[in-house]
Amino acid sequence: MGLPRAYGVTFSLNETEAMARKAARGAGYGWGASEDVGKAVRWLCVQGLDGCAALARLLPYTDSHDPAQISPRVDTDPWLADPGPLCPIYAGAAFADRAHLMSNKGQNLGPLRQPLLFAPFVAQVACQKGVTMTLSCGSSTIVTNGQRISVADSHPQIWSSAHVSVGGHVSASAPLAKRTSPDMDAWDLLAIFAYRTYAPATEESRAKGAGSGTTDND
Amino acid sequence: MTGPAQTVPRRPPAQVMTLSRLGSFHQCRLSFVRILTRRMAEDGWSFTRPEFQIDGSGVGHAVYSAIGPARSYSLVAFAHDLPDAQRSDRVIAEAWDATFVLFDGVPTADDITRLGQNVPQQETGRITETELTLSRANRSVRLWEHVVSALAMGEQPDAAMVSEIGYLMRTTAVYGSGKFGAADREKIADRPEMQVPFQAEMLTVYLIRTFVRDMVNHMAQVKGGAQAVPLAPQIARQLGIGNSTGLGMAPFIVNHPVLFNNWIVVREEALARVRSIERPTRAEIDTFLDILARSEVSISRWTSAHPLQIEKLARLRNDLGLLRRYIEAGDLTGPSMWDSLVTWSQSALSEEGQELIVSLVLEPYGPLIDGMAHCMADNGQASCIDGAMPISRVKALLKHTFGWALDVNWDDPENCARAWYVSAEKLEPRLGERFEEPVADYEQPLAPARDAAKAHAALEDWPSETAIADFLIQHPEHRHTIRRAQVFPRAPYGEINGNTIGADVLPIDMLRAKLSFFGATHFDPRSDRWVRICMYAGAPYPEDLQTTNADTWVYPELTA
Repeated sequence: MGLPRAYGVTFSLNETEAMARKAARGAGYGWGASEDVGKAVRWLCVQGLDGCAALARLLPYTDSHDPAQISPRVDTDPWLADPGPLCPIYAGAAFADRAHLMSNKGQNLGPLRQPLLFAPFVAQVACQKGVTMTLSCGSSTIVTNGQRISVADSHPQIWSSAHVSVGGHVSASAPLAKRTSPDMDAWDLLAIFAYRTYAPATEESRAKGAGSGTTDND
Repeated sequence: MTGPAQTVPRRPPAQVMTLSRLGSFHQCRLSFVRILTRRMAEDGWSFTRPEFQIDGSGVGHAVYSAIGPARSYSLVAFAHDLPDAQRSDRVIAEAWDATFVLFDGVPTADDITRLGQNVPQQETGRITETELTLSRANRSVRLWEHVVSALAMGEQPDAAMVSEIGYLMRTTAVYGSGKFGAADREKIADRPEMQVPFQAEMLTVYLIRTFVRDMVNHMAQVKGGAQAVPLAPQIARQLGIGNSTGLGMAPFIVNHPVLFNNWIVVREEALARVRSIERPTRAEIDTFLDILARSEVSISRWTSAHPLQIEKLARLRNDLGLLRRYIEAGDLTGPSMWDSLVTWSQSALSEEGQELIVSLVLEPYGPLIDGMAHCMADNGQASCIDGAMPISRVKALLKHTFGWALDVNWDDPENCARAWYVSAEKLEPRLGERFEEPVADYEQPLAPARDAAKAHAALEDWPSETAIADFLIQHPEHRHTIRRAQVFPRAPYGEINGNTIGADVLPIDMLRAKLSFFGATHFDPRSDRWVRICMYAGAPYPEDLQTTNADTWVYPELTA
C-alpha cells in the first residue's frame, strides 16, 4: 500500500473510515454494512479507542461469511445467530434499526464477537433517544451517552452473552481525537482485506478504463 | 432558505437531474471559484510571496501566503525539471512539473523540509493535519515553451496561441478532505472562509496560477537575461489554470447525494427566485445584456476536438443567435420576463443553451442569491436508517425517485453494459465493460437506479406494514439502497435521473456537472470519460483583486 510505518504517523479520520469500509467490503460485507463499519470504526477512533484493531480482530472470523450464519435472529430472547457467535456489525445494525422497539428491559444477546464494535450502534440509539446506555457482560461494561464512551475492560475477543439497557454513567472526559494512530499490524491487515476490492490492472483497463491518452506533451 | 415571495417553483428533479442536462451545466455566480474571489475581496485578504527559491533550471520551491481576517493559508510549491517522457496527465503518473500543498498557516523551514521530502512523491508521500490539499501540475509544453522563448527575446507571446490554449499549466489532481494524511474537512468546516465546499481546493488553484505566472517570468529571465521582459498583465490575466480530470470525480457526485443535492437545490432556488421577479429594473436588464455579450466572447473562444462537444458547441452558438433574435424582437420586456425567457428557452434551445440562460439570468441578482452559498455545504450527521419505516413507505420513496428504473430490464446487457470499479493500480476509479472484462466482481455501488429497482423487486413479496428493519435482517445486500432511499425526502436533487452503467453512459456528463460548480469553463472532452477544462481565466491576480473585479471576471471584458 506504500503507507509508511514510521514512528508517529497518524491518519485522518477520512482515511481511517475509508480503510475500515473497504476492509469490511473485502471480507464480504455488503456495501451498506461496510458503510456502517466505516462509521463505527471512525466513531471509536474519535473516542480514542482503536477501532481498526477491533475490526482487524473480527474480520479473520467473518471473512467470506454467509450473513445468515452470524446475523441475529430477533424473534428470540436473547438474540442468537445460528451457528453464531453474533457478528457485532450485523447485531449492531439490527439493534440500531430496531431502536423503536427497545423496551425498558433492554435487549439480551447471545455470544457476541468484538463487543467494542457493537458499541457505536448503541451510541447511535443512545443519541437518538437522548439517554445513556450500558452494554454489559457480567462485570465488563461499555457505557455510552452517544457522544462519549467509557470502557471498563480491555478489549475482549468475545463475550459469552451481552445485555444492553438504559442506564450507566459515562466518565470519559479526554478530548475527542482528530487523528488516528491505529496499531500498524492491524492497519496492515485491514489493508490486505481492502486490497481485495481493487480489480487487478490490465493493459486494457489502463488504456480504456480511465479513458485518457498516455502523453501530456501538448 | 427563505426568500421573497415566489410565484415560480423550482424545476422538478426529474427535469434537472438527467445526465445530458447535468452534462450541459455552466459556471454561474454560485460557482466555488467566484464565491472564493468575492469573499477574499470583500474581506480584504492580502497576499505575500515569502519565498521564491527557484534556480536557473527551474528547480526549487516557493511559498505564497493568503492572509485573511482570522487566518492565513500558504501554497507551498515545488518546481521540478521533468523530462518530456515522464509528462502524463493520467492520475497514474509518477512525476510532474510542479507539486503543491496548501498549508494551514505559514510554514516554518522545518515544515518546508518535511514537505519537500513528501509532496513531490504525491500519493506515495505523506502529508499531515497541517496540510489542507495536495496537488500537482504539468506544463502545457507548447504554450510554455512559446511564452518563455518570446519573453526571453523581449517580445510578448502570440495572442492567438494564448487564447487557443488558455493556460500554462494544468493540474491533474487536487486532493483534499483527509486524503494522503491531510487534514479532515471537519478541521476547517466551521471557518467562515472554508464553509462553502471546496474553498481550500479553489484557493490552492488560485495561488498555483500566480506561481505559474511567476515561474514563466523567472524562466524567461534566466534564458533571456537583460533582454527578457515580463509577461504583459493583460495577457497574464487571460491565462487560467488547466485541469485534466478523469473518472475520479464521477463517483463523487454519486457517493455524496446530500452534498450534491445542496449544490443543485441552491442553484434551482436561485433560478426560481429570479423567475419570480415581476418587474426587473433597467439596470438589471442592462447587467444581463452586458454579461450576455461577454459570455458570447467566452463561447467564441471555446474550442474542442471531441465530436460530441463540437456538436454541442455548434448548437450552443446557434442558440445564441436565437437568443439575440428573441431579444431584438422585444421579448425581453413585459412582466415576469425572466420566467418568460426561461420558459421560451426550454422549447427553443438545446440543453447547453437552456443551462447557459440559467447561469446568465442569475447574474444581475447577487443580493438575492449570493447569501445562499453557505447552504451548499453538507455538515450534517451520518444518515441512520429509520428501521421503523413501513415497507410501503420505502417502496413509495424508491418509486418516486426511480420510478423509470423499476420497469427497466436490468439483465439486458445494454442496460448494465458497464461496471464502475477501482483498479489496484494507484486506486484509480475506472469504468469497465461488464461482459468483456473481469471487473463485475469488483463493482462499486455507483448504479443507484439499478440498485433501487432490485431493492424494490425484493420488497414486492413483503407485507406493506412490516418495518423495514425486518427486511434488512434478511436482506443486508440492500442496506445501502434503503439508507439512500430514506435520504430522498431531504435531498430531492441528490440522485441522477439516469442510468450510470448503461452502454450509452457518458461519464463526462457527470464530470461536467461537478466541474461547473467549481467554476470551470471551456469544457474540452478528450474522450467519453476524460475532460480538460480551464479555471480562473480572466481572474485578477492577488495584487489586483478588489471588490470591483472579484466577481464577473469569468466573462471576458468587451474590447471596443
